Amino acid sequence: MAAGLRAVRRWGLVAAPPSLAFTRSAFVVKKANNAQPNWLRVGLAFGTSAALWALLIKQHNEDVTEYERRKARAHKCKQCS
Amino acid sequence: MVFLPDESRSLPPPPLLNKGSVWLGFAGWISALLDNAFNRRPIFGAGIHRQVLLATLGCVVGYHLVKRAEYVHAKVDRELCEYIRQHPEDFRRSTG
Repeated sequence: MAAGLRAVRRWGLVAAPPSLAFTRSAFVVKKANNAQPNWLRVGLAFGTSAALWALLIKQHNEDVTEYERRKARAHKCKQCS
Repeated sequence: MVFLPDESRSLPPPPLLNKGSVWLGFAGWISALLDNAFNRRPIFGAGIHRQVLLATLGCVVGYHLVKRAEYVHAKVDRELCEYIRQHPEDFRRSTG
């Protein structure tokens, strides 16, 4: 893989690192800096979690309402109450 | 094939925190902790946003999987009871 990379670079088709995209080679990946959080990613993660919980709770309440509605309709049809 | 057919809404919905959602939420949380461990970060204190997100994803997936499982079980039970109803001679209480 490294030889192929050298060849491609020699042909001038690929610039020197780190502008190579979509590669996980240790030569181009920057070391992750855990001391400075990526606040955008943190915000997106928390926002997505909040949205997912809201959707889940809404879905559950809708399910309960729909079940009660169908139960009431079934009883009404049988005219038992 | 539909994941949750319309008639599944006639079943009582499982509680929000059921076996599936709690277990998969826990599994999501553990996978976030494992990610911390493999990247040599503090296991519990780092990446709280990641832990919360993966636990939430686990709960959501677990809830819907449990709904589908309950629907499949109810469908099988209905077919079984219908078969028993249509073949009473095979299900007589044994007299001897």
